[in-house]
Amino acid sequence: MFWRKKEHEFDEELQFHLDAEAEERAEAGLSSSEARLAAKRELGNVGLIKESTREVWGWMSLERIAQDLRYALRTMRKNPGFTATAVLSLALGIGANTAIFSILNAVILRSLPVEDPQQLVQIKLGEGGDGEVTNPIWEQVRDHQQAFSGVLAYSPDRFDLADGGESHFAEGLWVSGDFFRVLGVPAMEGRIFTKNDDQRGQGQGAMAVISYSFWQRNFAGDSSVIGKTIRLNRHTFEIVGVTPPWFRGLDVDRSYDVAIPIATEPILRTDESALDNRLYWWLLMIGRISPGESLPQARDRLNASAPEIFRATMPPGVPPQVQKEYLKTSFALRPAATGFSDTGGRYRIALFALMAIAGIVLLIACANTANLLLARAAARQREFSVRMAIGASRSRIVRQLMTESLLLSMSGAGVGFLFALWGSRLLVRLLSTSGNPIDVDLSPDARVLTFTIAVTILTAVLFGFAPAFRGTRLALNQVLKQGARSALQGGTRFNLGKALVMGQVALSLVLLVGAGLFLGTLRNLLTVDAGFNRHNVLLVKADLQQAGVGKPQRIRTYEEILSRLRAISGVESAATSLLTPITGAGWNGFTYPEGFTPQLERDSLIFLNRVSPAYFKTMRTPLLLGRDFSERDDLHAPLVMILDESTARHFFGQANPIGKTIGMDKRGGGSEKDLYHVVGVVKDAKYNRIDEARKRTAYLASGQDTDPAPMISYEVRSERPVEELIPSIRSTISGVNHGISLEFRNFETQVNESLLQPRIVALLSSIFGMLALLLAMVGLYGITAYSVARRRGEIGIRMALGAQARSVVWLMLRDVAVILVAGMSVGFAVSLGAGRLVKSLLYGVQPNDPVQLAGAAILLALATAIAAYIPARRAARIDPMAALREE
Amino acid sequence: MQLLQGTLDLLILQTLQAGPSHGHAIAKYIQRTSEDVLQVETGSLYPALHRLEAQGWIDSEWELSDKGKRAKFYRLTRTGRKQLAAELSKWEQLSQAMGRVLKPA
Repeated sequence: MFWRKKEHEFDEELQFHLDAEAEERAEAGLSSSEARLAAKRELGNVGLIKESTREVWGWMSLERIAQDLRYALRTMRKNPGFTATAVLSLALGIGANTAIFSILNAVILRSLPVEDPQQLVQIKLGEGGDGEVTNPIWEQVRDHQQAFSGVLAYSPDRFDLADGGESHFAEGLWVSGDFFRVLGVPAMEGRIFTKNDDQRGQGQGAMAVISYSFWQRNFAGDSSVIGKTIRLNRHTFEIVGVTPPWFRGLDVDRSYDVAIPIATEPILRTDESALDNRLYWWLLMIGRISPGESLPQARDRLNASAPEIFRATMPPGVPPQVQKEYLKTSFALRPAATGFSDTGGRYRIALFALMAIAGIVLLIACANTANLLLARAAARQREFSVRMAIGASRSRIVRQLMTESLLLSMSGAGVGFLFALWGSRLLVRLLSTSGNPIDVDLSPDARVLTFTIAVTILTAVLFGFAPAFRGTRLALNQVLKQGARSALQGGTRFNLGKALVMGQVALSLVLLVGAGLFLGTLRNLLTVDAGFNRHNVLLVKADLQQAGVGKPQRIRTYEEILSRLRAISGVESAATSLLTPITGAGWNGFTYPEGFTPQLERDSLIFLNRVSPAYFKTMRTPLLLGRDFSERDDLHAPLVMILDESTARHFFGQANPIGKTIGMDKRGGGSEKDLYHVVGVVKDAKYNRIDEARKRTAYLASGQDTDPAPMISYEVRSERPVEELIPSIRSTISGVNHGISLEFRNFETQVNESLLQPRIVALLSSIFGMLALLLAMVGLYGITAYSVARRRGEIGIRMALGAQARSVVWLMLRDVAVILVAGMSVGFAVSLGAGRLVKSLLYGVQPNDPVQLAGAAILLALATAIAAYIPARRAARIDPMAALREE
Repeated sequence: MQLLQGTLDLLILQTLQAGPSHGHAIAKYIQRTSEDVLQVETGSLYPALHRLEAQGWIDSEWELSDKGKRAKFYRLTRTGRKQLAAELSKWEQLSQAMGRVLKPA
């Protein structure tokens, strides 16, 4: 309303000016009609005056925005093909960026939803040192620190909800009594733990606090849950509280189900309780810095009591040198506001690489849209000229065009946002496996929204600005006089278009090279000789902790189960191992091989596993020399060891390793050594990961274990699909002991899941690469088609003068060839640089691999050549007469 | 003769010092006083008037002109007066400096 009035008043003001001028001229002797005309001439372009005066009123009046929007919507509707292409390519670009950013945000950037998360710091042992501490250290810190307003300790674990047989795990947390209070997490139902719950064996009984989602899943949100019990690893715990839905634990990629006090640990681990163990590092400590205090202040105060804490927690039986080191340890603090994330650590580089790839896709989409807009701006020059002639200023038209661009990118962002909601969840689902479940809260927050909005605006500026300026740089009279088609000015527009397509070609090449490298990595990982055969092997993890089997009987129980498993029909062979290969679990030790002098300390470090007879047969790892372990390698026989090929060569060179001896430190410290006799050599096999560098490995005999662990892994090979064996294996094992908890996995699945990251990076980079290729094709098609249309007359003349169809096609393609060559040279340079950044994600391929580079270049050249050939051939079919008549 | 950038504002403020006036009269006054050397373009005059008004240096009211028609009269505000004084002394300095350079004594 206000603006209407203002407009109206201004009309009146100008009208008065006109009248006054006319009157003056009439007084000077002109006839009234002549005076009127003269006054009008004097006043000039009324539209322009109004426009530049309105400009003064405010850069953007609401009314004008509404006007621009209406106009922009009309233009979008008038060109549905253009609009759809632009919106779709922008949606893919913006969507891909938002999807990957929201994962990055969730696992790396976002603060925990607890009270003042920026006050939380992780307490570590030394800079760059480990985060885990022993319970004695924690108790010392808890009882003696003066540096924080509160401290807490916790440790993630899994608790078996099943009462025997196959395990059914809940995500568990061991927490200190003050855990929830320090974080500022209240109880939604019942109560949270208190400092009293840190008292050991106070007869408080076993209590648990459960998460909101666990409550909903298992108790349907029933508030009578308080006082009910659940079974964790076969022990009864009473539920005393439920936490609110927003608290999911401190690990951002796994939400917790059940939390129990650290003090109740002896209930679950009985004789192997770690509460007083000074060598078991399992708790993470977090402190809350008091308001007004800084991190260095808190650290210095904490370290004042460090010597005392470490003197009181000295691990037993360690060499004097290590003791001295231990006493000199100091605490370091690390901000912990964003929580802990295994995913963030493991997929960090991959996530950033994908973010960069998505960014490049968006750039290509921008270049593509800019090119479309440029071509359209050329077609709309007449429209712009007319508008300028009736008073629109150039900035007004630029603003109008920018509104259109913004509307395009906003539509793209809208569609892209939905696409991102779906895509990020899909991606996390792909990354999550049964062995390593990932559960990330991906609901978009303010940061994701801000990111998307910023990207949207940036996108609009990137693709909209240049075309808007180029498109409105016109000489009015010329355009109005000439036909729309031939009115294009000079070469500038076309050169900008060419530069854009060249950029697209360059970026597409980068993405294609990247996709090629990642695909090559995946192919290498899938076909690499891992040293074992991953097919037809079932892994059975048996946990004896709750089975009431004492340590001395463990070996016998393991062997009993093994012999019964071998008797099951369909089982080809079976074996045990302490560590399952390709799980990430590892064990290493220093060795003193006979006649070998290490240059560096780590030269004598090898990775170890303890396996039963027939392990190598079951895993299909070839025995190269000597013999396999046998039943006679027991506690009374001489200690034996089997080496892998590279370890044998490393220690003994060309000499026969069989019969050589290798010393290793006796368990429990001291300078005494066990002496092992090498009895066999096997082929190298992968230890932790398929993509690891060779790890020197040695195998010890399961029958010679003086301190058998309560858990063991069985490997069972069968000709039949291994899942069919599960029921008979389950009943066989519970026939031996009903209390053993079991977990079944297909070894092939296990290996494939360990290749998840390369698989997903390869998949996504290929999809993005294809997308880029498609956009580059659209770009080249567009620019060639445009050039054909522009040069119709010229082509007509050439053909009339006798040019052959082939030479006309070449004439059109020549430009394309120049763009391609220029774009690819830039693309090569960028690829080589970018390849180095992702080197840690590659396996067995080099970023400058000529075959990879050539492959990507040929693919790109072929695809774009086809895209350009279609309109170029159309040029050859131009009827010269028709073309010339049009001129 | 085209006006120098920024000088139109000064001329308008100066003109209004004599008393309230409407757009047409302001243009004519400048033209006349400069003995037709300075031509005030309508396309610059009105944006300038509205800008000065937005800045608060002048304000306006609809009144009857001497011919008895409704016209928009602009008048100098108090800040406008201060602004005029400041602009004038700046202009003095500038023209003296220009003079010294162009016609050295």
